[in-house]
Amino acid sequence: MKNLNLASIAGLMALVLAPVFISFTANSADKAEINTLATLRDHTEIDVQKEPNRIPKVVNKDIKQARNYPMQPPIIPHTIRSYEVNKNNNKCMSCHSRQRTEESQAPMVSVTHYMNRDGNFLAEISPRRYFCNQCHVTQLDAKPLVENTFVDMHSLMKQKTTSAKEH
Amino acid sequence: MSQTKQSHSEQKQEKTHEYHVASLVAYAMPEQVSDVEAAINAIDGAEIHATSDKGKIVLTIEGDSHKGIGKKMDLLRVHKGLINLSPVYHQVLDEKIDENKEENYQEIK
Amino acid sequence: MTINRREFIKANAVAAAAAVAGVSVPAVASNLITSSDITKLKWDKAACRFCGTGCSVNVGVMDGKVVATHGDIKSPVNKGLSCVKGYFLSKIMYGKDRLTSPLLRMTNGKYDKEGEFTPISWDQAFDVMAEKAKDALKKDGPEALGMFGSGQWTVQEGYAAVKLYKAGFRTNNIDPNARHCMASAVGGFMRTFGIDEPMGCYDDLEAADAFVLWGSNMAEMHPILWTRLTDRRLSAPHVKVAVLSTFEHRSFDLADNGMVFTPQTDLAILNYIANYIIKTGRVNKDFVNKHTNFRLGETDIGYGLRPEHELEQKAKNNGKTKGSSTPISFDEYAKFVSTYTVEYTAKLSGVPEHKLEALAELYADPKIKVTSFWTMGFNQHTRGVWANNLCYNIHLLTGKISTPGNSPFSLTGQPSACGTAREVGTFSHRLPADMVVANPKHRAIAEKIWDLPEGTIPPKPGYHAVLQNRMLKDGKLNFYWVQCNNNMQAAANINEEVYPGYRNPKNFIIVSDPYPTVTAQAADLILPTAMWVEKEGVYGNAERRTQSWYQMVKAPEGAKSDMWQLVEFSKRFNIEDVWPEELIAKKPEVRGKTLFDVLYKDSSVGKFSLDEIPEDRLNDESRDFGFYIQKGLFEEYASFGRGHAHDLAPYDRYHQERGLRWPVVNGKETKWRFKEGSDPYVKPGSGWDFYGKKDGRAIIFALPYEPAAESPDEEYDLWLSTGRVLEHWHSGSMTQRVPELYKAMPDALVYMHPDDAKARGMRRGDLVKLISRRGEVQTRVETRGRNKPPVGLVFMPWFDASRLVNKVTLDATDPLSKETDYKKCAIKIVKV
Repeated sequence: MKNLNLASIAGLMALVLAPVFISFTANSADKAEINTLATLRDHTEIDVQKEPNRIPKVVNKDIKQARNYPMQPPIIPHTIRSYEVNKNNNKCMSCHSRQRTEESQAPMVSVTHYMNRDGNFLAEISPRRYFCNQCHVTQLDAKPLVENTFVDMHSLMKQKTTSAKEH
Repeated sequence: MSQTKQSHSEQKQEKTHEYHVASLVAYAMPEQVSDVEAAINAIDGAEIHATSDKGKIVLTIEGDSHKGIGKKMDLLRVHKGLINLSPVYHQVLDEKIDENKEENYQEIK
Repeated sequence: MTINRREFIKANAVAAAAAVAGVSVPAVASNLITSSDITKLKWDKAACRFCGTGCSVNVGVMDGKVVATHGDIKSPVNKGLSCVKGYFLSKIMYGKDRLTSPLLRMTNGKYDKEGEFTPISWDQAFDVMAEKAKDALKKDGPEALGMFGSGQWTVQEGYAAVKLYKAGFRTNNIDPNARHCMASAVGGFMRTFGIDEPMGCYDDLEAADAFVLWGSNMAEMHPILWTRLTDRRLSAPHVKVAVLSTFEHRSFDLADNGMVFTPQTDLAILNYIANYIIKTGRVNKDFVNKHTNFRLGETDIGYGLRPEHELEQKAKNNGKTKGSSTPISFDEYAKFVSTYTVEYTAKLSGVPEHKLEALAELYADPKIKVTSFWTMGFNQHTRGVWANNLCYNIHLLTGKISTPGNSPFSLTGQPSACGTAREVGTFSHRLPADMVVANPKHRAIAEKIWDLPEGTIPPKPGYHAVLQNRMLKDGKLNFYWVQCNNNMQAAANINEEVYPGYRNPKNFIIVSDPYPTVTAQAADLILPTAMWVEKEGVYGNAERRTQSWYQMVKAPEGAKSDMWQLVEFSKRFNIEDVWPEELIAKKPEVRGKTLFDVLYKDSSVGKFSLDEIPEDRLNDESRDFGFYIQKGLFEEYASFGRGHAHDLAPYDRYHQERGLRWPVVNGKETKWRFKEGSDPYVKPGSGWDFYGKKDGRAIIFALPYEPAAESPDEEYDLWLSTGRVLEHWHSGSMTQRVPELYKAMPDALVYMHPDDAKARGMRRGDLVKLISRRGEVQTRVETRGRNKPPVGLVFMPWFDASRLVNKVTLDATDPLSKETDYKKCAIKIVKV
């Protein structure tokens, strides 16, 4: 029960405080843990520190990850170590530019990247989109400390179509 | 609703890193099509994708082991409205996160 | 990833079976849901929750949940772009550990400072808070009460808090976390111009011929402004970019002239540039004669540490005179800066002479329109106000100010550091619209608008951020409410000056937050808080742009907005609980009323009815209080600035616009202030008019280089600079809960020069301890990646709750602005 979700328990208990409280203290870990609820610190007291984990490796599988919504910039599924992106070079575009994708089989940057600030198309990638890492990031092989309960719109729609079928 | 459909057999099973999907064609007697469809819908992990006028039902069964898929097929196979149940396709996905080994780095210099 | 792959192979499986059966299941059509009822997304605009850039985003809502966000194409700020954080806004509210019930430390059903966090109702929470506040009031008076707020509060939240504390509780012990971030910029503006906030606007980005970044890593901290700067640099080949920092970072990728200088020597470089302009005869004499005065500032002003600290004992002018100055002539000023020769400055700063000259030439050449940007490098500086003043000097000497592309531009860190902290005046010494509590005329104006008796607002400035922590430790501040910030992670010197105060048995600490942060962990009572589009609000960005948004989704059951908490809490106090009899006697009609009645409901805050809220709009707070409270708070607040060069448009208009830059006069926003033709407040015929000063003249200050509070020595042999990263917002309490952002940057590492690592027998990935005279923190060594510090300096970001780098930092502040210098302290690093 290391990652005991105090918040949701708290929510459930708000109404029926007294009777549940007994079982709450009985079931959960010791006092130190309850009072170290900062989830991002893995329940460590403020005046102590847990040993930091190793530097994780960059996920380098080249497998596309689903986007949470269509406008989300895709993450980079490969390492970009030693990629130079500066005012003289843009290593990313040597694979992802329109001219290079046949050879590289990498996905082409989206057409929006050829539009300038006023929405007009340019022959080359727009300078406002030049630094890829402003929006696209690699992923390290690290396990998130807290689950995220975001539900994407397609899951929501699917829930609705299923419930529509059942009723 | 998905919770009420939770199958007890699956709860008992140990968690694997596998994801199985099988697709099947069920051939139902025309007057029993809706019965068979209901039976399929009652199985956790089963989903109907299409039904033809002739009573052919395209469905998938998902699970986390060969055994689990087999059990679910067995549940269906005994339905009296069913003429035939033929498995078409089965794929397994190993979802264990493998160590990201050093050699996975493709350094581009 | 797995979900996507599952869907994919499942679709294959279906296609195979369908082919066998001869049944048509067109792969796409079968998955596409076309019923418009089900696919309906409701889109609405909001200001981004993160930095001071103030992008507008479109927020897509389905079934009461935010499901998508993207840059608002209609916004002049970002024109459809977001940075990586902005693109993931949709997920910040959905961390699984959202708080949904007040939690009080209890033993056997009673409050106990050493007890266990126990869920209680809101009623019980307000009961215990009111009891603690009234006890403190009775025992030690209003000065025992305090609040630490935020530049991430909405304008309305900040305003409600100022009113509650300064008028209700009658204490000025309220300060925002913007003290850590913008106070030096405010000091700089007030000192040079007599009025706060930038004269220019983001349109400067498309007009300038040269950009100079002073202690600003815009590429990471203001990503969308960086895209505009990049756009300008790469589209117009004549444009030059100079970047100055104490270590090399991402913004250097675009630099034509990148300069790494020894910490604190920016003061010398600024004076050198002034000297260069004078020596090469490029002073804009006409401008200088008409629009400026010269003054010599007080020096040796100390480092804002506790008075008994040896540095304060040594400093001559750390008392009342520290901000004073005397008039001097241009010649005296020229003589003052003449010692900052290129040789001297190059030697002191470590920047080669030719680079300094190239930099100075950008400012000196009258044909080059130059925009200077700065952020925390200048502001988090024990001479932060000076650094701001010295930068204005250069722009004033050349007259490169208030015209498109000529712009000394202080960038704000937080989304409403300008809007809430500065304009509303949530600082311990301030009132709305640049007014201060120490000025009796200003107090009288506030009391009049608030319809309260004369003498309600106390004249003595309250405890500022750093002093609040010291007073908590010393047991002088006993009832302390923290909203919308994470100061146990953000404040310097946690071990000695922050944590002890929170756990001091004399004190009762309340922390309002959506998530269980480090600060919440140190609290006695935690209040679950609604965030961002779970409430209606207004933010003000770094270019004076005021933006509003509606509530779009409901907060999790049990969570309430900061504003609701403040206003609801005010119901617990009768005026007799908080005001002395002689004050009540001046306005007997308040007798028997609650603070809620006096400050909100019966004041002009309460005058807008619920009918003004569109029926299809959520607005939980207003419907709870019975009036359109966000509009009431905004309109009352706006009445402070209208007609006084801080004019805001009517509230409703902000719901239609993608923000407007104040002053908004006759319905028109202002792009460049102080310039005739673009600023309606400028006297006709004057050309420029720095109307913040009585004579309309800005001040050029003679101020020297003075050393940092703590520099490396034999034992503590490295400089430590701390800062932020692109992927996380501040302390990471929102962004660390977004899996994609977490995995992009999970841990705070210490960035070191490979030679420094080698000299200590360390390699990349080694576990090390950073040790200062105050504490230590463990992390791992990074010798590559985006930050490349020089030998002798390391950088560690502070977003990581598990590695609290502020246990190591020093709580030295600029004695003028009281802002902490997070960029300079001395440490050593040892292998664990």
